[in-house]
This record gives sequence, C-alpha cells and structure tokens, in this order.
Amino acid sequence: MIDLETLIPRLVNDGVEFVIIGGVAATAHGSAYITEDLDICYARNAPNLERVVASLAPFHPRLRGAPEGLPFLWDAKTLQQGLNFTLRTDLGDVDLLGEVAGLGAFEQVRAAAVRATLFGVECAVLSLDGLIITKRTAGRRKDMLILPELEALREAQRKPD
Amino acid sequence: MTSEAEHRLLHPAPGSAIEAAQKFGIDLTLLVERLRMTPEERLRALQQAMRVFAQIRGAARVTPERTHD
Repeated sequence: MIDLETLIPRLVNDGVEFVIIGGVAATAHGSAYITEDLDICYARNAPNLERVVASLAPFHPRLRGAPEGLPFLWDAKTLQQGLNFTLRTDLGDVDLLGEVAGLGAFEQVRAAAVRATLFGVECAVLSLDGLIITKRTAGRRKDMLILPELEALREAQRKPD
Repeated sequence: MTSEAEHRLLHPAPGSAIEAAQKFGIDLTLLVERLRMTPEERLRALQQAMRVFAQIRGAARVTPERTHD
C-alpha cells in the first residue's frame, strides 16, 4: 500500500519536479479504479535527479521484483543511467518514469498536466485528456479497461460549447 | 461537481461516451459520488480502499483453508 499522504507532500516540499500520472491521477480526476502504486513522471535535469534521490532516500528505495541480493545504489548516477524505475519503498511502491508513452518526456507531460491541491500541497496531475492519450497509446488490456471510465469522466465534465 | 455533469452521468445521452461506459459495465453512480468529492478526498478514499484490500489479503494468508471431514 502506498502512503500518498506522506509521499506527495514530501516530494513537493523537497522541490522535486514531477507530474502524477497513472492510477493515482485517474483517481484524482474521479475514477473509481483502485491502484496500489504511485506513478510519477520526473524531470531528468541533474538538480532534479539529486532532489529525487534525496527525497526518497529516507524510505530506502530498492528495485521491485529484483533478485534478492542484487546490488542497487540509490543515487543520481543510477537515475542518470536509467530512465524508468519500478521501486519499492518504505512508503509503498513508486514508479519513476522519465518518459510517458504517447506524450514524451517530462516537459511534454507537464504541458498536459493540471494543478491540484492534494494533502495541503499544490502539485501537477496529468489531465484527463493526457491520461486518455497515454492509456490509448499503451494499449495494454489493463489500460483499455479503464479507458471507457476516463472518457465518461471527460464527457461528464466537458464545458458547454 | 456541477449539476450538469451529474445529470449527464445519471442520464447518459444515446451514443455518448457515458452511455458506452455504462454498457461496458462502469457503475456511473460511483463516478457521481467521486465527482462530488475534492481530488484530495478521492485520494483519501483510495487510501482507505487500499487499507481494506491489504487487510483482506492479510486475512486470506493467515486463515487456513477449512477442511471437511
């Protein structure tokens, strides 16, 4: 289980540049879908990599599903050498994505985000339009299952012409 | 949530994405309830659901299967 109430303010207050995507973003927009991890798209500039590392370090990030004993050094160099990381932390599972299918890198994802106040902090959450694009692009069965709900939510909240 | 959005969800227009979702099996009343909440309230509800699932999983792991004599 992911502790969103601790994690989201922590990342914001530590100055991490990120956008909430995936199931938590869908929930924030009104989806009844149940997710168990926090997916974020993060900026890959050097200062932000340092901030991501410092922010999550107290919660002991390690690679989810990796063989027992596989060495994993949680530092900016590791982040720099990879792109997407599926992590288990003391606060729950966190997926870090450097790019998002259908949108691109952090700058494109941020451009497709809206601002929301969550747990006392303002943060960027991928818009319904952005979520629909990513789910359509990913095209996996689990993505296609949530699409009708996201499209219904978008239509329900559409502003009159 | 605007009453307009609620009306659209509770009375899906023929051929709309909302009607398609309903036919797909989405419970539109759940969406109405979610849209009445703030984004933070929605995430708190998600956390609560996660807690319940975690408890159920834990109970399933510790409860031995009942055998019939």
